[in-house]
Amino acid sequence: MRKTGWAVSSGIESADVRELQQSAPGPVPQQRHDEAARTGKPPLGARTVKAGLRTAVVLCLATALVHVVLVFLHVAPPNPVSKRYASQVNGWVFPLFEQNWRLFAPDPDSFNRKILARTAHTDPKGAVQVTPWFDLAAVDHSAVDHSVFPSHTSQNLLRRAWTSYVETHGGSDTARSERALMLQTYLRNIAVDRVASHSDGRTFEFIQLRVVTLPVAAPGTAAGTRPPAPTEDRLLPWWKVTSHGK
Amino acid sequence: MGSEQIPEPPSTAATPHRAAAHEPSIAGTAHRWLRDRICDLWALLTDRPISLYAASVLRIGYGLLYLVFLLREFPHRDEIWGPGSPWTPALAQQLFDQTGWNSILILSDSRAYFELCYVTALVTSALFMLGWRTRAMSVLFAVVVTSFHARSIFMTDGGDNLILLMSLYLVLTACGRRWSLDARRDRLKAARAGSAPEPARSFRAQPLLDARTTLITVVHNCGILVIGAQVCFLYGSAGLYKIQGPTWGGGTALHYALNLELFQPWPALSHLVDEYPLVIAIASYLTVLLQVAFPFVLFGRLKYPVLTVLLGMHIGIAVLLGLPVFSGAMIVADAVFLPDRFYAFLPRLWRRAARRTETGPSAPGRATGSGFVPLQGRPARPGAPASEQPAAPAQQDTTTPKVRPRSGRA
Repeated sequence: MRKTGWAVSSGIESADVRELQQSAPGPVPQQRHDEAARTGKPPLGARTVKAGLRTAVVLCLATALVHVVLVFLHVAPPNPVSKRYASQVNGWVFPLFEQNWRLFAPDPDSFNRKILARTAHTDPKGAVQVTPWFDLAAVDHSAVDHSVFPSHTSQNLLRRAWTSYVETHGGSDTARSERALMLQTYLRNIAVDRVASHSDGRTFEFIQLRVVTLPVAAPGTAAGTRPPAPTEDRLLPWWKVTSHGK
Repeated sequence: MGSEQIPEPPSTAATPHRAAAHEPSIAGTAHRWLRDRICDLWALLTDRPISLYAASVLRIGYGLLYLVFLLREFPHRDEIWGPGSPWTPALAQQLFDQTGWNSILILSDSRAYFELCYVTALVTSALFMLGWRTRAMSVLFAVVVTSFHARSIFMTDGGDNLILLMSLYLVLTACGRRWSLDARRDRLKAARAGSAPEPARSFRAQPLLDARTTLITVVHNCGILVIGAQVCFLYGSAGLYKIQGPTWGGGTALHYALNLELFQPWPALSHLVDEYPLVIAIASYLTVLLQVAFPFVLFGRLKYPVLTVLLGMHIGIAVLLGLPVFSGAMIVADAVFLPDRFYAFLPRLWRRAARRTETGPSAPGRATGSGFVPLQGRPARPGAPASEQPAAPAQQDTTTPKVRPRSGRA
């Protein structure tokens, strides 16, 4: 199946290349020309061209259909078919056609997160100074507030960094895979940048994160009068700060 | 698909009648029927490019959307895509080695190179939107979108994902044939040439040229097919996954969505809506129903009201949840299902509206708040040709949102 896929794909690419060259003359005069030519007898090589064209058309259609089927299998929940052909589906879909349409599904998040950070600095005398907690997510919330067009840096940067961190780490804070280590570095870099831009140039060598998850009150309950009790209060280990090219 | 079924009943009905005596002729009928269907399919694929206007609307929509997005993130460009991003070039390279992504942005860590890429992206998006050398620009646009998406993969959301997919699919389509600089140039060239005879081409080259035209048409039609299927999968799966969630079934899902601080640009408005549980419940159910129904209403008149409600829903998402790029991408994607005759109808509608407003107050002010962003990017350039057809739609589209449903049913 994979083999067909690749063979078919080359058919489409060659079609593109030809179309590229075509853009200069433009389609309108050409078509007029076609009609004039059709009245005459087809020349000798025409049969070969026709056969080639037929093959190309069939290949195009086949590619399109195969693509649609593979994307369907990728989007659908795991099932016997998508499990059986997992390698073909993944080989075709990843990375360019990867997609996930679980938008606010199966349920929208029912919590807001505070992502707090504090830093430690060892002064020349050897005493360790630890700053109070600083809410990184609050920076995002205030940036989104009254913004017609919130930036990805407020809505997605920290939010997705944290969810990706949890996906790769689970409940533990030791990175057990290369990807987990990368995301740990990413999260640390974000935190360091945020703290640094809000701390008047104070230097620090260590940083620690704490993530507090606050539930959204169920509808009907008198929300807003007092802050809800956190469902999770996760304290991460101290991380050594290294500069990342800033 | 539907038309394929129509001729079938007579042939099967005839089967018992003739079965005994004319065994081979039944096979002949079936064979002929099959051959006719294949010919129909062949004609559909090769005769002419379908939905040229819709393809152009997609080109304009996504070009404009990406341009606006890039400009919006101008103050944050280094943080998102640049060498100073917390997702460092080294991390990006490491991830590319694992996943097979790639990006022009990590070819160099220099700030100057990044700024060059950013400007290239702006220019590419603008030219793609305007339809200048569209096919080449569509390839460049796909490269740009892929590169920027891959570089900031952990900052992307559903809207970015959709724009990426569409930028790839649009390479296949002839999306520059309508409402574009290319179309304008061709028209001018044709006007200048007038009735002068075409330069004679050798008979040997002619079949090749014909074949190329057919092939372009086929690739375009396949591209449109894939885009349509993609949008159906999007809505279908978004709806079916929601069905599995208890809050959507319980009609309270939107209550939670409205209370997420990151998706709450106007807290007062969100809380106001949140005070009406009936509205929340109806909107929650409507969302799921529309999304699940979407693929099934596309082949009838019902699609016009459904697309209108979806348009309203997306505008609601853009404002209430602060997701304009996502909503814009979805609205543009929906436009692929509007037929050419719908878009061809717009200029007439505009002229009628213009005539009416000549006596009344000026029209543009009314239209600015429409939120139907994508169409506005249509090249309304100074010095556009005097020929009626293209000049009219350039300004005409501002009235689209209001007239859209009505004109659809008319």
